[in-house]
Amino acid sequence: MIRFENVTKVYEQNARPALDSVSLEINRGEFTFLVGASGSGKSTFLRLILKEDKASSGSVYVAGQNVANISSWRVPKLRRGIGVVFQDFRLLPQKNVFANVAFAMQVIGKSRSIIRETVPEVLKTVGLEGKERRMPHELSGGEQQRVAIARAVVNRPGILLADEPTGNLDPITSMGIMGVLDKINQNGTTVVMATHDDDIVNEMRRRVVELKNGKVIRDEAKALYTSMIPVVGESRRLRDASGEELNRAQGAQL
Amino acid sequence: MRLLFILGEIGSGLRRNLSMVISVVLVTFVSLTFVGAAGMLQMQINQMKGYWYDKVQVAVFLCNDGSTAVGCASGPATKEQQANLQAMLESPAVKQYINDFQFESQAEAYTHFKEQFSNSPIVDSVSEDQLPASFRINMKNPEKYQIISETFSSQPGVETVSDQRQVLERIFSWMNGASVAAMGVAVVMIFCAVLLITTTIRLSAFSRRRETGIMRLVGASKTVIQLPFILEGVIAAVVGAVLASVTLWLMAHFWLNGDLSTQFLNTPFISSTQVLVIAPVLIALGAGLAGISSLLTLRRYLKV
Ligand SMILES: Nc1ncnc2c1ncn2[C@@H]1O[C@H](COP(=O)(O)OP(=O)(O)O)[C@@H](O)[C@H]1O
Ligand SMILES: [Mg+2]
Repeated sequence: MIRFENVTKVYEQNARPALDSVSLEINRGEFTFLVGASGSGKSTFLRLILKEDKASSGSVYVAGQNVANISSWRVPKLRRGIGVVFQDFRLLPQKNVFANVAFAMQVIGKSRSIIRETVPEVLKTVGLEGKERRMPHELSGGEQQRVAIARAVVNRPGILLADEPTGNLDPITSMGIMGVLDKINQNGTTVVMATHDDDIVNEMRRRVVELKNGKVIRDEAKALYTSMIPVVGESRRLRDASGEELNRAQGAQL
Repeated sequence: MRLLFILGEIGSGLRRNLSMVISVVLVTFVSLTFVGAAGMLQMQINQMKGYWYDKVQVAVFLCNDGSTAVGCASGPATKEQQANLQAMLESPAVKQYINDFQFESQAEAYTHFKEQFSNSPIVDSVSEDQLPASFRINMKNPEKYQIISETFSSQPGVETVSDQRQVLERIFSWMNGASVAAMGVAVVMIFCAVLLITTTIRLSAFSRRRETGIMRLVGASKTVIQLPFILEGVIAAVVGAVLASVTLWLMAHFWLNGDLSTQFLNTPFISSTQVLVIAPVLIALGAGLAGISSLLTLRRYLKV
């Protein structure tokens, strides 16, 4: 479903690459965690799938198609096949729940009757039945993220990308969101979720791809947040810290 | 559905940016009014040229009682002098340059004068012998005026030779200058309008970056994303153009064909219907400018 072949992404000429010859295949229907410290290249990975950015070298294939060969006027078609959710929800504050989800259908020209039929179904899937008329500010963070997920999947994309969707949520709410994502995955959607929330990863036991400084340093099925092979002296705090801090700390150990 | 959606977006965009939209309307209104005024002046010049050029002639004015010119030292032109001039006009040397000529006596001059200024008090203060008799010459080629002037101005009994075309040319060049000036103002104003449209669209795109960001992510087409912004600018500019057209029409209707036409009876003013020819040009110009500047702005400031 998603294939990276030797993908390197360099934003600024002299900086280290955000992604460094990454090769990876994610199959249809898979649930994959993308873990790693902040700045390790997770968001860049997701952006390349959406063709929001162009790989500096290597190829990105989505549904068998090299995204580099998709002309700009067909990029919208690519994106219709991919749902995205973010840490900051990105809801439209002046639209209610129903309208926020319907918006994703309106802008691609879906008919009013199909919208009226589909939106309540999707809201039910994410557990927001009966909250159609609420405004975003009348919802909890978890509920807002559910609206965002509903919007991302309302057009039935084959792929759902989630960039730290639980980053702003407390652990219990986060688990609720994971339940929703899991359900969507069960329905056949390929899910790629970038996160550095170790509890969630450990709880879910799914494929884990770990990035560090833009390189894939681990790719394990049914894995935990940290490798089973223990790294001597690495504390929980350092795992959550930025890459640089980690490097400095590791340097200090030597 | 998509059309309704786009219309809704335009509506909300216009409402959200109301003060900017109003300024775009006003600036395009003023700038296009100047463009239209320049156009109207040109139309007026053409109209007057068409009307006058067949009619205007070189006039050889004969001396009358009040003449002060050197050639009139011996008093009003005599019958012999007049006959002499007529003979000259009929001589082959002069005839080759003219189509025909007419003699306008003082009595006829007075009649024409009364017609021209029928509703002006000046008529009462002028008497028949104050007006000069004249030969009205219709030139084959008005450019050859100089030859006629040289031949006749030194003849006894001739007060002056006047090329009415020159008088008109002076008026036309004045009108032309005014039209160029109006165009100059228009260019500056259009520049302002373009800058303002650009800023408005940029602000509008910025204030709706959330929506457009989401639209992009869910795969809305470039058209659906950009069209509301472009139409927002175009609609504002078209409203300005319509206001400008209405203003010009009102000017033509109530000023040119109202006040001015009663003051200058002999002047053929352009009609208010003729002004309507300018309206589509102004609307197209406004829409085109707004469309292009919006499109270019979006290309820079709205990622799709
Ligand atoms: N638009 C950008 N311009 C320049 N550098 C960027 C840009 N986006 C990300 N980067 C850099 O690329 C690296 C990876 O960033 P990112 O993919 O956002 O990591 P993550 O999502 O894992 O925190 C970082 O060093 C970041 O500074
Ligand atoms: Mg990130």
